[in-house]
Amino acid sequence: MPHDSHDHDHTEPPSDLALRVKALETALTRKGYVDPAAVDAVVDTFETKVGPRNGAAVVAKAWTDPEFKQRLLDDASAACTELGFSGQQGEQLKAVENTDDVHNMVVCTLCSCYPWPVLGLPPSWYKSHAYRSRAVIEPRAVLEEFGVSIPEDKEVRVWDSTAELRYLVLPARPADTDDLSEEALAELVTRDAMIGTGVVQA
Amino acid sequence: MTNSVHDMGGMHGFGPIPREDNEPVFHEPWEGRVLGLMMTTGAHLKGNIDNTRSQSEMLPPATYLSLAYYERWFLRLERVCKEKGLVSADDLATLWAGQDIAEDLVAEPIAPDDMRRMFANGRSYNRQLNTSALFTVGETVCAKNMNPKGHTRLPRYARGKIGVVTAEHGGQIFPDTNATFSGEGPERLYTVRFQATDLWGPNANPKDTVFIDLWEPYLEAADTAS
Amino acid sequence: MTNSVHDMGGMHGFGVVEHEDSEPVFQEEWQRKTFGLMMTSLGTLQVNLDHVRSRMESEAPATYLSLGYYDKWFLTLEKLAIDKGVINRDDLTKLAMGEDVQLDREVDPIPAEGMLAFIATGATAARQIETPASFKVGDQVRAKTLNPSGHTRLPRYVRGHIGTVIADQGGQIYPDSNATFSGEGPERLYTVQFQATELWGKDANPKDTVCIDLWEPYLEAAP
Repeated sequence: MPHDSHDHDHTEPPSDLALRVKALETALTRKGYVDPAAVDAVVDTFETKVGPRNGAAVVAKAWTDPEFKQRLLDDASAACTELGFSGQQGEQLKAVENTDDVHNMVVCTLCSCYPWPVLGLPPSWYKSHAYRSRAVIEPRAVLEEFGVSIPEDKEVRVWDSTAELRYLVLPARPADTDDLSEEALAELVTRDAMIGTGVVQA
Repeated sequence: MTNSVHDMGGMHGFGPIPREDNEPVFHEPWEGRVLGLMMTTGAHLKGNIDNTRSQSEMLPPATYLSLAYYERWFLRLERVCKEKGLVSADDLATLWAGQDIAEDLVAEPIAPDDMRRMFANGRSYNRQLNTSALFTVGETVCAKNMNPKGHTRLPRYARGKIGVVTAEHGGQIFPDTNATFSGEGPERLYTVRFQATDLWGPNANPKDTVFIDLWEPYLEAADTAS
Repeated sequence: MTNSVHDMGGMHGFGVVEHEDSEPVFQEEWQRKTFGLMMTSLGTLQVNLDHVRSRMESEAPATYLSLGYYDKWFLTLEKLAIDKGVINRDDLTKLAMGEDVQLDREVDPIPAEGMLAFIATGATAARQIETPASFKVGDQVRAKTLNPSGHTRLPRYVRGHIGTVIADQGGQIYPDSNATFSGEGPERLYTVQFQATELWGKDANPKDTVCIDLWEPYLEAAP
């Protein structure tokens, strides 16, 4: 950096990034900018509490409760908050519904925007340059790679999350699942189905 | 940087999508620490999400492409912590050398419970606007052909293309000004639907569409478009 | 690859243009060799320039951007030699480690005088074509919105934009088919002038223009 060349910037940082991260955390802690327990809280939140199981619960409820489904499609933030799912990177949520005629998929071509409160942190493939570049120009080829074949005459809608609006795909409920409970239905819902690169199988 | 390599929509050459079965949330413990440090230093760094994105985009293109996601996050965080004076290069060098530095509490860290609360609440990017909407749902609009040097969220692949407004979301913080701390300057946000054939040409499937969230300054009425 | 990072027109983030005073023709001995090898082997490998470009562009984007100019030349030449079955990766590694490998003489190389004669005369890409021109000088044309997955010389930044034909260059080998050895398929080449404001928006200088050589299949009449 141009303005601090007088100090130790010429010292080579360790090549092991883990050590370099540790050094920064230690420095920030010693100065009082960071409480390591708060860092633990963040890690724990995403490793154990917030993840695609949240989204799956939303989807299963929408499949079994038509009024909830309508609220979800009208105002996904409010509907997800009903189930206790809200917060950072999901302040404004929108749900898009897969039907017989329409298949939706979500991407962020400019970075990796993702609905954290309902899906957790994005998988590596969602953040990959391949997905970011290809989803908008060849969605069907991308879907094929995920094992999803869309008939030529079915609509594919790609949602490019450029703003502070986060998208969740409401997948189609598989056939022959009438006798399944909401909990059992939630078990069927995969993360990929809620991004739109998968479909839910019974 | 508006037209740097981060703006990847429609680019070729990145190969198949790399997928991993049963992928862990973090591949290495340090990745989780980076996320935690990002979150917990937020108040002290006084940044905002648009500035953060813009900082990433200013990496040299080859560097941007060769760094993994959390590497990019970490290198940006380390740089910003130095720039804003939270840590000194001397202290980091000392720690890199395996020595310790003395405690010198100059700030109050965010407590774990406050952190959890911040997570759960999030923060809204919506802002009340007093102006009336220039466009209505169903209207045909043209994404402007603009190539600003600074940060923008109008992807290259949509510029100059005609689409239809499918939703209006009220005011939202405008990234182009917020990224440079020139004010939130909220602008009206719309979702605009583009036909894949308009974006990519006759070989695209006529049943495919791309929906993009675009702020009012990115749009013009289709009939005034040059 | 049409939309890969080699198509850089209008991109930001690459910084200032670096100048070097009294820059030597080649910086390193291996660059000198690479240049000579590429020039002498294209004919015997039976590859054309469009194919060479296309192979170079197929380098992974991060790699493409981090390589120097002659690094790209060298890696492409290596790929071409392997593609053509002249040598395999293992043998190349052995040779690099100083081991010898058994390789049979398959063709006659171009001798030095032949090479010098070739450099002096060049090899024109111009081809006679019988079809009449679809456009004439002064016509308004639009560069088509095309995103083929193969090789093309229609830059992204010009697609969808309107310009004026300022020259008809006659027929020229068509890169899009030549790159895949699908034939020279010559097409008429035009020079088209675009206003910078048309390409980049109202912040561009209205006195600035960009002139681009575009083949007829890239163009359509502007409405």
